[in-house]
Amino acid sequence: MRRQRWSLYTVLAFGYAFLYLPVLLLIVYSFNESRLVTVWSGFSLKWYGELLHNRQLLDAAWLSIRIAATNATFAVVLGTLAANALVRHGRFRGRTGFELLLTAPLVMPDVIIGLSLLLLFVALQQSVGWPGGRGFTTITVAHITFSLAYVAVVVRARLAQIDRSLEEAAMDLGAHPLTVYLRITLPLIAPALLSGWLLAFTLSLDDLVIASFVSGPGATTLPMVVYSSVRMGVSPQINALATIIVVFVAVAVAIAALTTRGLGSTRTGRRPTRD
Amino acid sequence: MAIAIDRRSLEPWQDPKAQPYVRIERVTKKFGDVYAVDDVSLSIFQGEFFSLLGSSGCGKTTLLRILAGLEYPSSGRIFIDGADVTDLPPYNRPVNMMFQSYALFPHMTVEQNVEFGLKQERMPRRERAERVAEMLDLLKIGELRRRRPDQLSGGQRQRVALARSLAKHPKLLLLDEPLGALDKRLRENTQFELVNLQERIGTTFITVTHDQEEAMTMSTRLAVMDAGQIVQVDTPTGIYEYPNCRFVARFIGSVNLFEGKVVERDGDEVLVETPLGRPMRMRCPQPLALGSPVTVAVRPEKVRLCAAFREEAVNQIRGLVEDIAYLGDVSIYHVRVSPGQIVEMTLANIQPRTEQALTWGQEVAMEWSPTSGVVLAD
Repeated sequence: MRRQRWSLYTVLAFGYAFLYLPVLLLIVYSFNESRLVTVWSGFSLKWYGELLHNRQLLDAAWLSIRIAATNATFAVVLGTLAANALVRHGRFRGRTGFELLLTAPLVMPDVIIGLSLLLLFVALQQSVGWPGGRGFTTITVAHITFSLAYVAVVVRARLAQIDRSLEEAAMDLGAHPLTVYLRITLPLIAPALLSGWLLAFTLSLDDLVIASFVSGPGATTLPMVVYSSVRMGVSPQINALATIIVVFVAVAVAIAALTTRGLGSTRTGRRPTRD
Repeated sequence: MAIAIDRRSLEPWQDPKAQPYVRIERVTKKFGDVYAVDDVSLSIFQGEFFSLLGSSGCGKTTLLRILAGLEYPSSGRIFIDGADVTDLPPYNRPVNMMFQSYALFPHMTVEQNVEFGLKQERMPRRERAERVAEMLDLLKIGELRRRRPDQLSGGQRQRVALARSLAKHPKLLLLDEPLGALDKRLRENTQFELVNLQERIGTTFITVTHDQEEAMTMSTRLAVMDAGQIVQVDTPTGIYEYPNCRFVARFIGSVNLFEGKVVERDGDEVLVETPLGRPMRMRCPQPLALGSPVTVAVRPEKVRLCAAFREEAVNQIRGLVEDIAYLGDVSIYHVRVSPGQIVEMTLANIQPRTEQALTWGQEVAMEWSPTSGVVLAD
């Protein structure tokens, strides 16, 4: 019994090590004094300082964050609408097709999405003159197309869980359908909206392939900068930047988890006491 | 005379001049090819506590949802207080509903739940606060005002749901299995409380239930439904004592059914010949042709032990005790009177059980009076 527990902990430790040791190593080396990423020569914050003066990297980071935030916001709105259509409107005509097309981006290779969007943008530019150039707009549009599928999946699951009689009760108490949606449905699916937003944000921040296809000169996202600079040889600045991003993401996820738990307890919280 | 007037105000359905408060006119609801509600007409009067009773899938909940406006009938009209509300959406009806699941908003406190409906009708803040306080007071849940639904017990939730649905002072309150989610003990107490509350505030209640005991205890009148249709509408006493068909007789309480045919009429009594050999004399006000097949229905508690059994007497029968169920206050005896028929008899346990004479395998003679059962035309 005791032996079994010990071996379970070992497996767990290996699992965590496999997932997080590389990240930990990356963080540790961001404080390395040496120019060589793999040789430890002493503690230093100098790479953080240099990072602050690297305009190219900071611009790329700022662009990526703007794209990610815009993308997440649009994806949440559109994905929620799509989820509503699927959960709340029964078997409308073309429902199966709609569902299939909506979820296709989840399994479509990035290369195909990227290439096809590039072709679309070029064709559009030639025929209607929009988009004027490739950059922020095209990358954001491209990201929305696949992020909204993820958002729709998350929101749909939550929406399906909600007891229909809550909405009926609100209507019965005199609330018009729009009020019902704003006062009852939205607060109840809020946790899903938040996690959908964060998911879309992360997916966008993370994307290299699609962005490479649809971006133009002058619009370089963070992953693109990191990728190209790694080919030149890794600068410890990248480690510093990655550390900041990891901390940023960890805090965001923690906030999301806490708020989700608070809201989630309204349905699955502690069991009622008997009187 | 005074008594007659009194009776009329208590039982408006007896008064041909009384105006029904809720009128359901030939309402039908189809889901695809299935008739959930099939040509139902009903009149319910102000201040009634009316129950729709039936097994699951009989259409009673659909009918309630049609009254609330959550479903629209395929045909037929609904009138409430004289106004045609058939096409009104739920948010424009003077009707509120208490849901079976209670449907309390989980992200709002008790107070906010109760206040929700009042906010929708844009009641001023002062008045709203007063009304909420009045409701919380009425249901004795004032100390729960800041709690959320997941911090309440089942009984407390039920009260909050009731307070919320009564807050707008609806003309009509619909209750879908109001006690269904409570445990047995709590249910019994709440039955009386619900009736007292209804009498105090005077709102017309329509409830849906599958529990016949609940319907009997609480209602002024009830409608027994089966397969989307209303089988019988009457007071609890009427339904129990004078069921109009075998379905109702069997659905409410237990009953002994004897099949036979009418052989003779004598005033308002008929003589029914049954395969058991001995004729039965039963009161039967409705006209029945001689020779028509009928079923005689006699409740087990109306059957009593027969002191003097005579071969030629009516409404007497003999058999062997096959099963005894001792329930404390009463005992139920299953007496086999023929190879194919068992008669159920309920006797009050006047003597302690150990001193009772009846035991398994014993031969007993039973009888009932002509007025303590009904003759049902097949």
